[in-house]
Amino acid sequence: MSKVMKRSSEITLDIKPVPTGGTPDDRPESEPIFRVRDLGVRYGGLLAVRGVTADISRNQITAIIGPSGCGKSTLIRCFNRLNDLIPAASIEGQVLYHGVDLYGPAVDPVEVRRHIGMVFQKPNPFPKSIYENIAFGLRVNGMTDDIDARVEHALQGAALWDEVKGKLKSNALSLSGGQQQRLCIARALAVEPDVILMDEPASALDPVATSRIEDLMESLKEDYTILIVTHNMQQAARVSDMTAFLTVEVSDDGHRTGVLVEFAPTTELFTNPRDPRTEAYITGRFG
Amino acid sequence: MADPSFRPRPLNVRRHFDEELRELEIKVQAMSAAAQDLVAQAVRGLVENNSQLYDQVIQGDDEVDFYYLDIERRIVALFALQTPVATDLRFLTALLHINLHLERVADMAVNIAKIGQSVVDLPRSQVIITHLSEMSGIALKMIAASTDAFARRDMELATKLPSMDDPLDRLNRGMMRAILPISDDKRMLQWAIGMHTVSRQIERIGDHAVDIAEQVAFLITGEFREFTDASHPDKAG
Repeated sequence: MSKVMKRSSEITLDIKPVPTGGTPDDRPESEPIFRVRDLGVRYGGLLAVRGVTADISRNQITAIIGPSGCGKSTLIRCFNRLNDLIPAASIEGQVLYHGVDLYGPAVDPVEVRRHIGMVFQKPNPFPKSIYENIAFGLRVNGMTDDIDARVEHALQGAALWDEVKGKLKSNALSLSGGQQQRLCIARALAVEPDVILMDEPASALDPVATSRIEDLMESLKEDYTILIVTHNMQQAARVSDMTAFLTVEVSDDGHRTGVLVEFAPTTELFTNPRDPRTEAYITGRFG
Repeated sequence: MADPSFRPRPLNVRRHFDEELRELEIKVQAMSAAAQDLVAQAVRGLVENNSQLYDQVIQGDDEVDFYYLDIERRIVALFALQTPVATDLRFLTALLHINLHLERVADMAVNIAKIGQSVVDLPRSQVIITHLSEMSGIALKMIAASTDAFARRDMELATKLPSMDDPLDRLNRGMMRAILPISDDKRMLQWAIGMHTVSRQIERIGDHAVDIAEQVAFLITGEFREFTDASHPDKAG
């Protein structure tokens, strides 16, 4: 099978054509895949995150780090409209994906999530067979041709095939935590997304399983753009090309709002941060 | 660029790390003073043609070597245990370099003492001794300035080091001219050839001071650049 059977980025989004024309994959590598402009998120009217402006480059790993409650997960969930599922949540500003406003009125959030997949902190396979965990999503998305090959391709892409090829009918819950997480990555890859969002994908895993996920991310970025939220700063330093540091601002009435402090190449951010708040956080002097 | 002097209130675990960083800085300054003493002593040995001083320099190098090994081991341990980043990372990498430069400066003092020892019975030229004294005065000022710049995180002082090195280079190049007039006296010429090597050692001490200053600049700015480039002097700085 070819590297990617049919990339969803080649599937036309059910939205207006991108302004510069052509398919997203025709664009130069340097063109940002996301342009985030003054993005804010409110929960029940209260600002949880505000003023995020950044360009996310394609085929790069972008890490989002920051203390608990700074809005890292809230921010990453803006990239595939997952916050839409929270009734009290509302979005301000813009997230342009290949030049198209993700929150535009004509955009179908389900379609967005097929292009922009997500892997969560805790591996959450369905209580079904390994095979069905992949095949289910394919069927739901109407990708019913050559399902066996697609399942194998996804499992190979997630570096899990060699470990499970002899037991595809086994229950996914019999896999180790690290294998389950890679199965969830395979499930995300199966529908051929353009972007993979990872919200603390290795925080529940031991160092060996974590290393496998990190290796996997490194190989996946050849074909995908990856955004990862992580509490593990060394993980951000190891795997990412760019790092965004968010912190919490506390108002006089005690309300906490996440703000983007610094967004820079990872090497630069970890050797020579520009903002003293970044310096304080990454050096552990934030008490 | 973050302010390198910025120090928010540390957490307890980080407080130990901070204490270790402070202790390492004190040690490297003590090592600098010990290395400077050795250079001064070695050159005083030349001026006085004093074998006892040469012996003291050679023995005194053990103290500097002890500092060197202790500092090196502690820095490696901090890299392994504390995963330093940002200013801490730049501080420790700068310290690693400065530590090595100072150890080399002390080794040069030992080289000077050994050369002096090997020609102690030969006739001498006061002109050349004065020449070397002048050079060592500049080299010692440069080492002191570079480690002061480190202690004070003083970018202005650090960037002065290359210009302080210029007269030292000129004096080193002038050594051959000082030797030529005495070349008829074969025994004094033998002594002078040793002094020519001493001149080169002192000149190298100046180079180490410039390299230390480059590390200071890296610590302060986060951007490493060479102040001087021997192969492309026109592109230096």
